[in-house]
Amino acid sequence: MTQRISKYQRFKMMNPIIQFFKFIYLSIKIMVIVAGGHGGTRKIN
Amino acid sequence: MAKIVVLGAGISGHVAASHLRRKLPKEHEVVVVSPNSNYQWIPSNIWVGIGRMKSEKILFPLAPLYKRKHIGYKQAKAVSFYPEGDQNEQKPYVLAEYVFGEQKGQQEKITYDYLINATGPKLNFEATEGLIPGKNKTYSVCTYTHADHAWEGLKALIEQMKQGKKARILIGTGHAKATCQGAAFEYILNVEEELRKHKVRDMAEVTWISNEYQLGDFGMDGMLLSYGSMTMKSHEMIEMIFEDRDIKWILGAGVNKIEDGVAHYENLEGEQKSELYDFAMLIPSFSGHGFKAFNKNENDITEKLFKGFMIVDANYTPKPYEEWSVQDWPETYQNPTYKNIFAPGIAFAPPHSISKPRKSKNGTEIFPAPPRTGMPSGITAKLVAENIIDTIKNGQESLSHKGSMGNMGAACIASAGFGMTTGSGVSITTYPIVPDYEKYPETQGRKLGKTFGEIGLAGHWLKLALHHAFIYKAKMRPFWWLIPE
Repeated sequence: MTQRISKYQRFKMMNPIIQFFKFIYLSIKIMVIVAGGHGGTRKIN
Repeated sequence: MAKIVVLGAGISGHVAASHLRRKLPKEHEVVVVSPNSNYQWIPSNIWVGIGRMKSEKILFPLAPLYKRKHIGYKQAKAVSFYPEGDQNEQKPYVLAEYVFGEQKGQQEKITYDYLINATGPKLNFEATEGLIPGKNKTYSVCTYTHADHAWEGLKALIEQMKQGKKARILIGTGHAKATCQGAAFEYILNVEEELRKHKVRDMAEVTWISNEYQLGDFGMDGMLLSYGSMTMKSHEMIEMIFEDRDIKWILGAGVNKIEDGVAHYENLEGEQKSELYDFAMLIPSFSGHGFKAFNKNENDITEKLFKGFMIVDANYTPKPYEEWSVQDWPETYQNPTYKNIFAPGIAFAPPHSISKPRKSKNGTEIFPAPPRTGMPSGITAKLVAENIIDTIKNGQESLSHKGSMGNMGAACIASAGFGMTTGSGVSITTYPIVPDYEKYPETQGRKLGKTFGEIGLAGHWLKLALHHAFIYKAKMRPFWWLIPE
């Protein structure tokens, strides 16, 4: 096993307070990207 | 009055039927034809497969909901397509066979004005010899019954490990051209976490086996993504996670035969190899359902409708990888020959893969098929429904709603362990799904910032929130339509 994620990184990943704000941020960001619209790619002459 | 027939009641079919019913006046008929009596929220099968969620929590019966919402429902499977009708039936129809109740075995001509083929994939286990869920120690999490069996198998193995048995666990893809690596990725992380929770992690060797050339390909050719303040490639991110969790990996593997506890595969070097295991969860290849189509004179016209999956407005001209374009991908999911037939979700035939095609030295194609599950399924189903609604209301064909996978974002919220305070998730959001190298030439076809990864507890909460939100939406509870696809 190779420890690739440091203890500090892991603390941030699993801290409920930090992650609560991350949850809000991610929810909004993902909503904007996914629900923010889609369309075609072909040029209309 | 128009009659819209929707084949299939999965994510795509159910989304299409719900929006059609909500926006069309009652004089228009919406009929769903599906052999399944239940709706299931497939992404949560992962948790069923580790015993953290009962399958009843991810499904509900369709018949009472459809009755309440005035959506016709026939528990039947489509057999063949007659887009011109036949000598006795003027209207186009689908021949369907009932699979349940008094009418079981009976066939019916279900006529339509518009047809939405949302039949999804056939789970093609037969394509890999010996790959049978629940047999040869292999399991699947593709359906809730498969996931239940997977948990039974895993639970039994965990018990043996507690008695001192050393075990090998193999998770990944079970065919050289399988897709849905994301589901297998979620499952391997959840299984690994469960082993820790049961204090038997040190008794197990956990291995990822996949047809991907690199980790993190996910059938999307991998991606360049933002992770915190860094920009990294998806294979670097997944490598970091696997190394951190002591998960080994085998890549470029086309699994071609399963025997009891042995997975045989060919790699890109053309070598025939095998891997031993005590528990395996391998995603099968997906295929079309093998439907046939006939014209008015009952001549076979299957090639006008199907190319494995259904033919839509994509560019199917064969060309090398270097010449692939984002414009090859469909925008309206309309069949070019029969304009009143649409195929959103997994049911449409993709123009080609997204990942670079690779062959072994023996000429065997080993690379992932393109994913169309989850969000793209819902989004494409909704836009098809909206185009049909506009066409009916305007009295002329309207295709203003477009959604190419080359101009659409998707979020893959992969659970990496269950638990309100101990859980974890890997969230990968990609925009666009199909890389657009003209628009984003410097960032491997994707928009940085909109293509990003996150690891942590918030990812688990997000997946749990999506589970509840999408089941609420599927049950068509008040204001369900405010929840995006």
